Amino acid sequence: MARKISLFVPCFVDQLQPEVAVDTVKVLRRIGCEVDFPAGQTCCGQPAFNSGFWDEARPCAERFLRVFKDAEVIVCPSGSCTTMVRVFYPELMASGPAHDEALAVGKRTFELSEFLVRVMGLTDVGATFQHSVTYHASCHGLRELKLRDEPLRLLRGVKGLKLVDMLRSEECCGFGGTFATKFESISAAMGESKCESVAVTGAEYVTAIDPSCLMHVQGILGRRKDRAQTIHLASILASEAQA
Amino acid sequence: MSTNIPTPTPAGETPSALTAAQKFLRDAAIKSADLVHREIIRKNMDSYDAAHNRGRARIKDWEAARRKCQEIKREAINNLDKYLLQFEQKVLERGGHVFWAATGDEACAYIKDLAVRRGVKTVVKSKSMVTEEMHLAPVLEEQGIRVWETDLGEFIVQLRNEAPYHIVTPAMHLDRQQIRDLFREKLGEGIPDADPQKLVALARRKLREAFFAAEMGISGANFLVADAGAVAISTNEGNGRLSTSLPRIHVAVTGIEKVIPRLEDLGTLWPVLATSGTGQPITTYSTLVGGPKRADEADGPEEFHVVLLDNGRSGLLANAEEREVLHCIRCGACLNICPVYRNIGGHTYNTTYQGPIGSVLTPHLRGSEFQHLSYASSLCGACTSVCPVNINLHHHLLHNRRDFTKAGGAKTDGERRQFKLWRTAMLHPRLYELSGWMMRRSLRLLYGMGLAGTALDPLRAWSRKRMPVPLPSQSFRARWKKELSKKELGRNAGGNK
Amino acid sequence: MATSNPSRETILARIREGLRTPAPPMEAHTFLGPIFEPVENPLERFQQECKANLMECQLTADASASAQALAQVLQSLPAGQIFVQDDPALRRLMTASGSQRQIRWSSEGGPQEKSQATITLADALIAQTGSVFVSASCGGRGASVVAPTHIVYAFAKQLVPDLVTALRNATADGRLDKNSYACVISGSSRTADIEKILVQGAHGPMRLVVIVETGR
Repeated sequence: MARKISLFVPCFVDQLQPEVAVDTVKVLRRIGCEVDFPAGQTCCGQPAFNSGFWDEARPCAERFLRVFKDAEVIVCPSGSCTTMVRVFYPELMASGPAHDEALAVGKRTFELSEFLVRVMGLTDVGATFQHSVTYHASCHGLRELKLRDEPLRLLRGVKGLKLVDMLRSEECCGFGGTFATKFESISAAMGESKCESVAVTGAEYVTAIDPSCLMHVQGILGRRKDRAQTIHLASILASEAQA
Repeated sequence: MSTNIPTPTPAGETPSALTAAQKFLRDAAIKSADLVHREIIRKNMDSYDAAHNRGRARIKDWEAARRKCQEIKREAINNLDKYLLQFEQKVLERGGHVFWAATGDEACAYIKDLAVRRGVKTVVKSKSMVTEEMHLAPVLEEQGIRVWETDLGEFIVQLRNEAPYHIVTPAMHLDRQQIRDLFREKLGEGIPDADPQKLVALARRKLREAFFAAEMGISGANFLVADAGAVAISTNEGNGRLSTSLPRIHVAVTGIEKVIPRLEDLGTLWPVLATSGTGQPITTYSTLVGGPKRADEADGPEEFHVVLLDNGRSGLLANAEEREVLHCIRCGACLNICPVYRNIGGHTYNTTYQGPIGSVLTPHLRGSEFQHLSYASSLCGACTSVCPVNINLHHHLLHNRRDFTKAGGAKTDGERRQFKLWRTAMLHPRLYELSGWMMRRSLRLLYGMGLAGTALDPLRAWSRKRMPVPLPSQSFRARWKKELSKKELGRNAGGNK
Repeated sequence: MATSNPSRETILARIREGLRTPAPPMEAHTFLGPIFEPVENPLERFQQECKANLMECQLTADASASAQALAQVLQSLPAGQIFVQDDPALRRLMTASGSQRQIRWSSEGGPQEKSQATITLADALIAQTGSVFVSASCGGRGASVVAPTHIVYAFAKQLVPDLVTALRNATADGRLDKNSYACVISGSSRTADIEKILVQGAHGPMRLVVIVETGR
């Protein structure tokens, strides 16, 4: 019986980095899952929540719970959005039936690498990627979802991939949502430190489980005219040997 | 999207017209771009990281240690009145004095009056962030009293007329040459090779005169031990020991939240504080002072005063969700790990307490004028991951933001309006799709005309420092509708270009 | 003599009012083992920690060996007055050491600024951290911090395995009711305030010497 997956696509992935979601679908189908995209979804509410506007975020959360009410398993290619649902929805809807619903949905919502390794027990998803890659440990996935090994194990399972360790891989890249624009100088400085760490590895690509980190790092890599390019974990896992 | 944080004031405006938030943005921009500063801090923090990791490895079960310290502080804070009274009674029984100060001004007045009454001309001070919070030194100096900061780092920044850069390592931002030059200028003695050993020896010589001459020693307190009625002071240099042994009056100044229930609690707290603060197994001197010199003792102060400062702490206590912020043992680990702190340095905060704990605490102690500190964070959570008493620091930043916007007012109304619009779009998928499409379309046009980063670019706060994000012609949901909802994918999906 | 405390009741009232709302519950946990590595061989551990703390630890078999060890340390110091805790054991030790130095005893007051060294007993030795636990009864406060060298004359039977035990003992015998001060000393004074480089000998002693007599 194929697993039925409901895809949760972060709003900025939907609008700005659609290939991340396309590649997520490809990977999930390759391992034999049935993938559905509930079109009623929009945004998990994180931007408003992080800025302190919880009353504006709450309706988005309630909408999310409605849209995904019947989903068996929800998979999302973003650590921060998965964190929003699992860790912060119960706090946002602090009591009553919505709170219990939030807890229940949170248990069924997984970040992509978390789903592949912890739920499906896979580290080899049939990918080939003949390049050197270094890994940036996105903060939400690392500290809120406690994902330390899972993305690395998946990367080691990719044929032809040369994994290079990055110093200070757990240091924040500096995106932080609206922090990136409200405190652009600090955000950029943190991003530059991250790009320096990437450059030292000499890797062709830097990857992470959070597309927002990668968007920010790519912006700074481009400014610095560095050699490395960003690529989301899903896109690496979706890659196949060239015919 | 415009922000509720004001943009930096244009050049030409007088500095006094800047709000705390504007000043912060300006200083943060300067410091973040300062590569020399970045390198100095990087070296210091790498050294701390190595020592800290070695220190943690010495403790068999670090998570159990954190949990135990959390439990001790939680018990203390949630029974604060009981333990403060137990502490006070013991100190009074031994002939010590306990003064309860509601505000920093009251505390300063008490100490100043005491010093004047006793004819104090010279004060030696060991490190106390609370005395910085109270701005004590100027109050004493106004009376013609000479105040010597005796902690080496504090001594250095005092000579420079500067605030401490970091709560544990006050002169972290200076190198040995700068310190050598400072000593030559202010102390009149040169050390050509700027050897740290010789610099320390010079400071020792100068401060020794002060230790032996001073009539009053002022210390902080790391902990107030309730069952022993003792002030616990953790130091390495010996200045805390000399300040509390030689002068005839000892004043210990402390926040009311420093209480712990039992002497044996220090068996866990002392090693954890030292490990988190500097990577040591324990600080060189872990001192306990319970009263003035007893008749049968060889030496010691004739008078012992403990000043308990509230200054907003009881207000924080009443906020049950935020109460655990008072568990802080002031180790400095959160400052050390914070990437924001590493880039902007301690002075940019312009507050007594910096870094993550400072950002959480200061809006509560000093008001909404400092609320921008709660926003100056990417919420990475590194602080929470190292806090030895398990304070959920980054979640408290979120709470601060929530409470600040709830309180309303001009500062947040603009942003609230924008989020209300945003919410409307997010609740209506077709409106959301349309807005998304319009944004991508207009930005592609704008960037195509080379206008990225200019005043016409709504995302210029992004594009000023980064290459603009490439804009796809189709959203994911459009592709899903067109091709992906079928079982098979038509062609290979590529990477992130 | 009572301190005038106009704000005391206000502060206490605010605290009590604030605490009427209970704090949110803590997460459940399942820690089982000890926090610190149990100390297997206290004397060995004490010596190891002393070494790491840059302390000098000398084991001696009996009083005469201790006196010899003391004499050697004193010979290595510049000439001048030393300060000694006035205790029968130390009076005997000083005599046995044959030292000709001028001694200021703690019964005369605290150590003078010019003291070359101080010599005291200890209340306990702590293996876990290589510490010496002193109190005011060990010659007063200045005795462990004023002079450039502090020499401790201790006995192996005073050794306890860890900090918690030492502190529990201190509570049990009312150490801080009988002494206005106590201190757990784990090394000579030091600072890393300049470029985070460790410099030994800041405001306190540069040398801490512990003579541990195992015989008795």
